[in-house]
Amino acid sequence: MISPVKIWRRQKEKRLILGKTGKIISWTKVYLSAKDFKNITPYPVVLVELEGKKNFVGQLVDYDEKNLKIGQKVKVVLRKTRNVNSEEVIPYGIKFKPI
Amino acid sequence: MSYIISFYQTKFGELWEKSLTSLIKEVIFGVLKEASLKIDQINAIFFANMMAGVLENNLHIASKISEIIGKNIPIFRVEAACASGGVAFHLATKYLSDNSKKTVLVLGAEKMTDYSPEETTAALAAAASGEEQEAGLTFPGLYGLMANFYLQKYHYNEENLAYVSFKNHYHGSLNPKAHFQNKVTVEKILKSPYVAYPLKVLDSSPISDGAAALIITNDKKLIKKSKNLAKVLASEVATDTINLSLRKSLDQILATKIAADQAFKKAGIERKQIQVAELHDCFSIAEILAMEDLGFWRKGEGGKKIKELSTMLGRSSLTVNPSGGLKAAGHPVGATGIKQIGEIFLQLVGQAKERQVKNARFGLAHNVGGSGGTAVVTILGN
Repeated sequence: MISPVKIWRRQKEKRLILGKTGKIISWTKVYLSAKDFKNITPYPVVLVELEGKKNFVGQLVDYDEKNLKIGQKVKVVLRKTRNVNSEEVIPYGIKFKPI
Repeated sequence: MSYIISFYQTKFGELWEKSLTSLIKEVIFGVLKEASLKIDQINAIFFANMMAGVLENNLHIASKISEIIGKNIPIFRVEAACASGGVAFHLATKYLSDNSKKTVLVLGAEKMTDYSPEETTAALAAAASGEEQEAGLTFPGLYGLMANFYLQKYHYNEENLAYVSFKNHYHGSLNPKAHFQNKVTVEKILKSPYVAYPLKVLDSSPISDGAAALIITNDKKLIKKSKNLAKVLASEVATDTINLSLRKSLDQILATKIAADQAFKKAGIERKQIQVAELHDCFSIAEILAMEDLGFWRKGEGGKKIKELSTMLGRSSLTVNPSGGLKAAGHPVGATGIKQIGEIFLQLVGQAKERQVKNARFGLAHNVGGSGGTAVVTILGN
């Protein structure tokens, strides 16, 4: 279990980049994952350069296969990041959506 | 000056009948026997392990080793993810440079196959950044990002990567201690399922159990008596940001370049003098990047060069990963860096049998932690 305070510390920084746009520098698709992500495999993870030249990693959501390409424009969105049980705090974080 | 006088490793693989403790015990007494030494002649032990704390709630192993050997000497545990072995060796050489007439034992051991792939994948991901873990990135995923970037930038494809595994499986077929001793075709590699695009099962090193140990000394009397000797010319460690998103370049492991430049300067030899190298091929792309970052190939030409198979045994003046590398010899994380240096030792003293590189005088071992957050370059000579 990830402690609630750890989730809170991460989230307060992530909100600063919500809604920003950028482009994919590289991407992969993960077929073998850790347990918390097993229910969504295979899932794409992209490395994105946002405006202002800062890079971030996150999963790509709401996508078609044709969006999996270097140079694809994306936007930062807020999403649930892990599959947790009903007793745990649901962690939210950043993911990317093609635009 | 320090010399390696002995090397021993267990077989690498799925060793159901062996615990971490039994692996440690086997290599300690195995390496002592190889050197015809008694445990009383060892002044300190450096122990490399990454995952026992996470996977089997097993820490303070230094004291458990003391129990195995029945001695009260200093024992240090070293953790730097997959570079734990290389860093332990580095610290052992530093210990010797500060203490004359001493002999130390360096060992690495890892028990990984008792757990599900998901548990092991999560434990390995502990060596990635919090942000990367939260994105669901695994180690194959991190190297998948690097591989995809490299292939697109330099206009290669997955076939170029496949030649790394083809070569290393051939070498593994000559190594009785290797996890995999079967040859694989390029076609079979390309047909294997993806782990993290564009990397497939046969681009990836396996999850293995195993242990390896070396004895290093600066005791002149012992050096004089030893039949097999390899001189430690350099052991250099460099680090870098763990987040791929904070790296300046995705097609370079900067820590490797820094450690290599320092190691060659210290050893006082040129790249072209290295005849045998054990490189950290945790994934096929990693060997190509390493060949470029170590300065053996120019940046971007690795995809083309690997297809020529010039680094296969007997083909040219440099053989790479004669043990089979991590890919075929196996990758019991903490043991890997020690096995790499051990393989170079065997090559330099002429005991590598079927996979012997002829007249090898200088060899290099390259060990990487995580996605390049730590790199160790060791150069030996005979």
